[in-house]
Amino acid sequence: MENDIPDYSKKEFLVLGCGNILFGDDGLGPAVIEYLKKNYSIPSNTEVINAGCSVRNILFDIILSDKKPEKIIIIDAFDIGGNPGEIFEIDIEDIPEKKIDDFSMHQIPTSNLLRELKDFLKIKIKIIGCQPEFIPEAVFTGLSEKVTSSIPKICDLAIEEIRE
Amino acid sequence: MGKKIVIQPVTRIEGHAKVTILLDDSGNVENTMVNVVELRGFEKFCTGRPVEELPRIVTSICGVCPWSHHLASAKACDAVFGVEIPSAAKKLRELANAIAYTEEHILHFYFLAGADYVMGPDADYSVRNVIGIAGKVPDVAKRVVRCRHLGAKMLEILSGKSIHPVAAVPGGFSKVLTEEERNKMLEMGKEILEFAKFSIDFAKNNIFANYLEAVKTIGVIKTGFLGTVTKDGTMDLYDGVLRMMQADGSYEDFTYDKYTDYIEEHIEPWTYLKFPYMKKAGKLSMDLENPVGVYRTNTLARLNVCDKIKTPLAQKELEEYRNKFGRPVQLTLLYNWARLIELLYNAEYAVQLLQDSEITSKDIRVAVTPRAARGIGCVEAPRGTLIHDYETDENGIVTNVNLIVGTTHNNAPINMSVKQAAMALIKDGKYDQGILNRVEMSIRAYDPCLSCATHNLDGKIAVKIDIVDSSGKVIQTFKN
Repeated sequence: MENDIPDYSKKEFLVLGCGNILFGDDGLGPAVIEYLKKNYSIPSNTEVINAGCSVRNILFDIILSDKKPEKIIIIDAFDIGGNPGEIFEIDIEDIPEKKIDDFSMHQIPTSNLLRELKDFLKIKIKIIGCQPEFIPEAVFTGLSEKVTSSIPKICDLAIEEIRE
Repeated sequence: MGKKIVIQPVTRIEGHAKVTILLDDSGNVENTMVNVVELRGFEKFCTGRPVEELPRIVTSICGVCPWSHHLASAKACDAVFGVEIPSAAKKLRELANAIAYTEEHILHFYFLAGADYVMGPDADYSVRNVIGIAGKVPDVAKRVVRCRHLGAKMLEILSGKSIHPVAAVPGGFSKVLTEEERNKMLEMGKEILEFAKFSIDFAKNNIFANYLEAVKTIGVIKTGFLGTVTKDGTMDLYDGVLRMMQADGSYEDFTYDKYTDYIEEHIEPWTYLKFPYMKKAGKLSMDLENPVGVYRTNTLARLNVCDKIKTPLAQKELEEYRNKFGRPVQLTLLYNWARLIELLYNAEYAVQLLQDSEITSKDIRVAVTPRAARGIGCVEAPRGTLIHDYETDENGIVTNVNLIVGTTHNNAPINMSVKQAAMALIKDGKYDQGILNRVEMSIRAYDPCLSCATHNLDGKIAVKIDIVDSSGKVIQTFKN
């Protein structure tokens, strides 16, 4: 049975880089995952995934699965009107009850879903956000310089979350 | 850790389907406009790249059905290079497609559309979601997840990874399936097939029977249909000819390269989205009483256009469905019933393919050479006919790209269904919050894959409705 489930459902810690690489700084999440894989040694109890736009599928299955991670760390670009490259933590508790919109354009989980993961399933959720400088309306790839320079720091924060 | 912030109610509307309802002087609906997010600029982005890169790039377009884009793109590349891929490669691609379909259809039936039916459409919103279903039918929920895990694992075995697939390449498939992998996958495939059989029985006995009245009234419009069949009229989701069926059931078949002779794209001044329509009709009219040129895609359409299904259990279900509802079926909510017949077909077909001795063949790829050409690749994506049309120069560099995605075909009918809902709910300038739910239901019936996440996991579609009076002033906005 254990071998019949995808690798990402077996680990204690899940780091998900979300976003669409076709839309400028929205590609931050996937870029962080790439950097993590290249420059850090990832502990064996941890899976780091470039979830791209497919995070919905991963989280959906986790919700009802018997085997659940202890903690999920989500990394994405969020436009909060801050300074480009600024890194922040978002607490689910602070998300208004009625806010069921998507955080960003490209299939980041909704606040409802995150609440369900946290409240019903007691999975620890950590969201690490970064203020994008440029998310284009039409396809345009590549991160801005300011967002790129935040990647190492975001990786450090993600690794800290795993070690905590 | 940096500073903590509170997210304010969002101001961005990219994640919403934007609906504008225009009222006339007496406060009745004059027109409605549904504007969903579209992937803009992709064609331009592809221009200048080596065409063989596209099957890998297109999986970033959409997280909902990356396999469909991946396969349509690989097929377009095969056509550009002018190669016929080995038979085993075709079977491996079809196997991936069938597995991806089972995952997607299970998700949609049980947790997107299904929540309304399983919990009841009048159930409180807070329980009409994944957790609500898990509480009410926990054993079913467990099997749902088990089967989705199996599907994801099978795609992982087949192609190395399930999220951003790279296994289909111009000229074939890049990874041989070993005997050991095949045997393992066959056991998994059989389990999914058992669940598919259970699902259609479960739905017929416990769900559809209770909602037949709603099925007959909600969102019913009269349109034509588009889908893929083989030359003898059998349903095919990976390859064949396109069949355009009129509302009266008459039809014409055409090869992919003729799609521009049959499909024209209409442009409305208020949206970037294109409205494909039947070219031979000469025009598009979304008039509810007398629509012209409108056709639909997705499950309802595919079951309407095909003469038969090649797997025995799904064929039996098709016969029962046709005896009950006729052909073509116009009842919009039957998209859900049709989806379960397709689930069964894909589960059966995956097992058939895994039992085929050729599936482990090592002859899965032919060499390709760049040339100046045009190639059109088409598959049936879960949400409708998906067309990738590429042109290259003599070095194999892309000079032109045109995509028509499944949901785009359904633009006109979605607009019509929303208009129908709005007209029923707004009379003489009077309306209430209920309009939001009805409009959302009308849109959801089509399971639109709005490329940038209008789909929330709980099945709700984020909708923003502006009601505009005859002077052009927004008099009210509803947002869920």
